[in-house]
Amino acid sequence: MDKLLLNSYLSIYIFSEVITLILSLMVLFITVKIVLKWDFNSNSKEQYALEKSLYLGSILALFLFVAKLILLVYLVYALDAISIYIPGAMCAAGVVSANGYGMVLLGVKFLTIFMLLLYLFLEKYDVESKYYPILRAREVVLIVAIVLSLIEVYLDYSYFYNIDINAPVSCCSTLYGTLEGQNPLPFNLNINTLLIVFALLFIALISALLLELEILTLIVAPLFIYISYYSVVYFFGTYIYQLPTHKCPFCMMQKEYNYIGYLVWGTLFFGVSLGAVWAIVKRWLKKDYREVKRYAIILLTLFVAINCSYILIYYIKNGVLL
Amino acid sequence: MLNNLFLHFVSLFFLKDKRRYLSLMIISTVVVFLLSVALFISSSIKHTLIENLQNQPDFIVQKVVAGESSYTPLSWQDKILDIPGIGSINARVYGRYNLDSKKSILIIGIDPFDEQTNKSLKEIIDSIDLKAFLKEKYMIIGAGVDSYLKSHFFNDYYNFLTPKGELKRVKVFKVLSPKSAIFSNDVAILPINLAKEILGIKKDSVSDFAIDIPNSSEEDTIKQKIESLFFNARVVSKRSVREAYESLYDYKSGIFLALFIVVLTTFTLILYLRYTIATSIERREIGIFRAVGWSIKDVIKLKFLENLALVVVSFTLGVSLAYLYTFIFNAPIALNIFLDKQNLKSFATLDAYIEPGVLASIFIIFAISFLATALIPIWKIATTDPKEAMR
Repeated sequence: MDKLLLNSYLSIYIFSEVITLILSLMVLFITVKIVLKWDFNSNSKEQYALEKSLYLGSILALFLFVAKLILLVYLVYALDAISIYIPGAMCAAGVVSANGYGMVLLGVKFLTIFMLLLYLFLEKYDVESKYYPILRAREVVLIVAIVLSLIEVYLDYSYFYNIDINAPVSCCSTLYGTLEGQNPLPFNLNINTLLIVFALLFIALISALLLELEILTLIVAPLFIYISYYSVVYFFGTYIYQLPTHKCPFCMMQKEYNYIGYLVWGTLFFGVSLGAVWAIVKRWLKKDYREVKRYAIILLTLFVAINCSYILIYYIKNGVLL
Repeated sequence: MLNNLFLHFVSLFFLKDKRRYLSLMIISTVVVFLLSVALFISSSIKHTLIENLQNQPDFIVQKVVAGESSYTPLSWQDKILDIPGIGSINARVYGRYNLDSKKSILIIGIDPFDEQTNKSLKEIIDSIDLKAFLKEKYMIIGAGVDSYLKSHFFNDYYNFLTPKGELKRVKVFKVLSPKSAIFSNDVAILPINLAKEILGIKKDSVSDFAIDIPNSSEEDTIKQKIESLFFNARVVSKRSVREAYESLYDYKSGIFLALFIVVLTTFTLILYLRYTIATSIERREIGIFRAVGWSIKDVIKLKFLENLALVVVSFTLGVSLAYLYTFIFNAPIALNIFLDKQNLKSFATLDAYIEPGVLASIFIIFAISFLATALIPIWKIATTDPKEAMR
């Protein structure tokens, strides 16, 4: 632990997380107060102060969203950089699996960013409609996001505190490789059926967005993320690495692969998130943010295009598939 | 409202009060500069060391006596070579020779007809005329050794004193270029038998063995085999050396960073104070904006962009100044913190190499703490009552 703390990437990450923690606590304080005491019809001094602090809450939320996003990317980069210290680790995969907290931490980070994104759109809608019709609801969303970010800081602490730099961990080929005939894929799928499901879900998600079927979008979106994760790790990734046995979600974020992993996972996450946000706003608030939907479709298509282009390039270069 | 007209207005606003931002910008630039210099130097040295490590052998085998490494018997060589999977094994002779009570040089003995496992040594040997080198007692020396000898009136030779008390007069054959001086600065390369005599190593022993293994996946097994072959052998692998380098320079930049975080916290406090005590002119400006119909959000946007511009400008300035200082002027003073053990005067120049992550690190720690501090004062100014502000 102490040896890792001296690594400049990690100490900068932890310092920045502490700053976001302070801001988060501030937002939590403001937001809880607003939820409890807000009364739009009141003329009291207190209400006037609350209306002012509403602005503070929203700019802090915007700032937290950007900071958390940057820090997520930075964390993955830092984990990659410290893999040298942990025996057995060759990329971030080994470091993340050094204890049980790593994967959970990454998951919670994504969830926090999604909740903050959702809040920002709810806030946009609320401010545009002048009388703050969904004020309490959106502030509750913000509280959820902040609570998640507090959990995140706790996980940060538990994760880094419990990394044992002397205990060997598995490298990505052991973690994600096919384990002696055991099928790592969910629902008993094999690669062919996985790809069929992936293609079907992609078509379903895009058509749900185009045909404005909000409920279907919300159902398909998490499934698509789930299946895409497996498809990229077990199929598309092997073309990025140009090696049929290399199965890893993290190695593609290294310099050797032109940091393409950040783009792959980024387009997937934001494509699906924006789609979901659009669906939620459209369904329950009856407001159609067309450009959000358009960006979602563009990002999802980009995600699939990047993955397919690697297969195409491989095929053109070598004349065979893996 | 984030259109061209607005951005144009922000830039005008920014340029109008150059004086007001100047002091803040200077302090921020200094803060960024300090951090950048430390991280640039440590990442550049680390990079050079690791690059150089690529030239080193995969394993080093030493004999250990009473927990200390001692001279390794030459007879081990054949036994180790019998292990399947070993590419080449080189007997190495090296040691430190004290010039006076404080200064010493690293003597490396080479067998020029052997296959060299160290690639930079191989390059040096390939570049010289061997026949001439072996004709008399010659040595190849680093730039630091050269300047020491010259300052002590040994222009082209040196008299080494062996442990037996004999004087050995060795002529300088060549001085290595100071380009990669981190390694070759205090080095003298001599033929192996001459080196043994000067260092007092017995004829049938060597300092250690360097082993190359072509197939890296066999490393662990071979290490185990060597260790079980000799109960008193120490096997050091390349990876563990790399880890040691990494943690040494992490330690140095880590200590610096810990101190820097204290500086940064003080800086943010100053920034916070400077912003909360907004001048009356600033307040009146905001009051006018609000009075002519700007919303609170617009004022926040204006102030935020202003600060973002400040961050970007001082980041760019600080990093470029640090680049100039570190890589063009070779970091006077600061370099000595990172290159310890001032044995012979070093002629090291830093490789202009910056990890992409280092730039990101500097930006993240600076921008996040700066903007996080500025946000609350911005909000306070923006929400002041226009009537009150203009009074």
